[in-house]
Amino acid sequence: MVETLPTAFLFIVAALVLLAIPQGKARGVLLLAVPLLAAWQVWSLPMGTFQQVNFFGFTLDLMRVDKLSRVFGLIFCLAAFLGNLYAWHVRDTIQQVAALLYAGAAIGAVFAGDLITLFFYWEGTAIASVFLIWARRTEGAYHTGMRYLIIQIASGVILLAGSAFLYRETGSIAFERMTLGSLGTWLIFLSFGIKCAFPLLHNWLQDSYPAATVTGTVILSAFTTKLAVYALARGFAGTEILIYIGAVMTLFPIFFAEIENDLRRVLAYSLNNQLGFMVVGIGVGTEMALNGTASHAFAHILYKALLFMSVGAVLFRTGTSKASELGGLYRTMPRTAMFCLVGAASISAFPLFSGFVTKSLILDETAAAHYPIIWGALVFASAGVLSHSGIKIPYFTFFAHDSGLRPKEAPIHMQLAMGLTAFLCIFIGVYPDPLYALLPYPVEFHPYTMGHVVGQLQLLCFALLAFGVLMRTGIHPPEIRAVNLDTDVVYRWFLPRVIAVVGGWIARVWTANLDLLSKSVMGVWSGLNRTHGPEGKLAKNWPTGSMVLWLAVFLGIALIVDFAS
Amino acid sequence: MARKTAKTLPGTLADKRAKAGGKTGPKTQVKTGHKTRKGDDPSHYPLLGRALLGIDTPKSANVIFWGLAALCVVLFLLDFTYDKHGHFEVEHIPGFYGIYGYVMFTGLILVAKALRVLIKRPEDFYGDKAVDSEAYPEDQLARIKNDG
Repeated sequence: MVETLPTAFLFIVAALVLLAIPQGKARGVLLLAVPLLAAWQVWSLPMGTFQQVNFFGFTLDLMRVDKLSRVFGLIFCLAAFLGNLYAWHVRDTIQQVAALLYAGAAIGAVFAGDLITLFFYWEGTAIASVFLIWARRTEGAYHTGMRYLIIQIASGVILLAGSAFLYRETGSIAFERMTLGSLGTWLIFLSFGIKCAFPLLHNWLQDSYPAATVTGTVILSAFTTKLAVYALARGFAGTEILIYIGAVMTLFPIFFAEIENDLRRVLAYSLNNQLGFMVVGIGVGTEMALNGTASHAFAHILYKALLFMSVGAVLFRTGTSKASELGGLYRTMPRTAMFCLVGAASISAFPLFSGFVTKSLILDETAAAHYPIIWGALVFASAGVLSHSGIKIPYFTFFAHDSGLRPKEAPIHMQLAMGLTAFLCIFIGVYPDPLYALLPYPVEFHPYTMGHVVGQLQLLCFALLAFGVLMRTGIHPPEIRAVNLDTDVVYRWFLPRVIAVVGGWIARVWTANLDLLSKSVMGVWSGLNRTHGPEGKLAKNWPTGSMVLWLAVFLGIALIVDFAS
Repeated sequence: MARKTAKTLPGTLADKRAKAGGKTGPKTQVKTGHKTRKGDDPSHYPLLGRALLGIDTPKSANVIFWGLAALCVVLFLLDFTYDKHGHFEVEHIPGFYGIYGYVMFTGLILVAKALRVLIKRPEDFYGDKAVDSEAYPEDQLARIKNDG
């Protein structure tokens, strides 16, 4: 029974049904019920491949259920539920439909057993999710959405091209583990890398997530990048280059996050940094490292959503998410502040919070695989996470100087969504066994050893102390209204200017040529006009008879030529 | 741990507030805490918010800071109480994680500060058709004041 419909179709059908229901609570109930139903289906499905369909001679596997796809499928359902609960107040059909289709496409991609199905859902996530940005309905959001869409669609097109090359090579469209080497596999790797926000391919993330609606960003944060993590874990586990890519990913965003003013963009940088940990885990590629990646993705989706929710609630109540404008909100939004602190503690990996029990898996495996420099980078990046997500987000929003803003506490449904997510963050941290049981491979790991706990607490508390010292000495950079350049400056600022300059040159050359041409044509024309024109010399004797004579001469010549040849 | 307040720029929320209600902007906020604001009545705050007011004083900020310092000392000393099973030699140095955390955190902030000099641009750098320089659409918000 549960195998009769692919999980993704549940969301697609629900999106159609939604249109038939009038706007209001009934829609809200449907939006909450569908992810729960889907989660139940994923949970009940036996392991195996179902729903094979024929497509132009290919056999597509719509539901490949194994422990790796199941854990991602489940967390996607949970994220969709929490996101829709947070968005209970939204009365915008576009956002409601987009949220359903986006979650459905991401879940469909996770269960795709072949590259063609993956491609369809891959593009599905791109098309559905852009509406969460456009739903802001401002010109800025429109342009950001276009940039986002171009990059996401390009990722899909590259995936398709890679799949075609791979098919020509191997004769198979199965989505299994690949080895980098051929053009096909490199293209697929690049396609995953774009969606996973690899360094230099990353900026779509920080560009677009802060541009989405209050609730849209929460939903966006869960799916696209974690789908890419899943795809990498499925296709490129143990690919060593990922270790280095991942390490760079953990490092560079922490510097940008530190000086970014828009807190939703800070969280986007932070998201990028967390993806780095997962990518390192995939690169190490051992069973425990992949467990680390899967569990970290699971925990990360929750605490990242929680942080986006709390900043979103502040934006919803104050109209801004800029650190320079905020501060002291704990007075009237204390619950949101507490939820934010739980998210901050989880992402910073404080013991008893979710990040601790998942990130230490990756760190331990990296150390066990003897990558001392990478390990050092990851430990540094862990302190960096504390800096922007652990301290900056809650401190400069809810504490620090008093902005004078006295907004009402977040609406009750937002509090409920944040409360549930916060509960899960703590539950996973305190009792990680159920999460460990969901992981692709058996877990032999004890996060709560003396060494782990003391080491992590030392790292975090000394870093907090450093923050205290920097604040007291006034060295810590203040929050100021500004934007910071990142790679998007190339296509948002530099290229348009280069094109404008080059375009100007081309236009000048073109006009000059045109001028020259028209001058010479005009010269010939006026010359002819002078002799043959109405006022010209030849016009003086211009009887019709002369034309007939000339015609007769030409006709004669033609006849002679024809006769002679 | 009150930080330096940002300058109230023209057109900012703080500026608008100052113009509209005659309320004090962040510029005039002093370290003595919440009760300096005119017309601000803490009795309208939610219970948890009122409870937290107690820790938002320079005195408790001091207590927190020195408490944290004491905790760091305890954590450092704890390193001598158990056998370490780290993968690398450096992990066996007492207080390795603490020292590494402190140094790297400070380094991060300093480098980020230097980076800001290079990459900081005005908020309208990408023009007025970018989300950074436009207001969030009011019809999608529910801006309600606490006692409103």
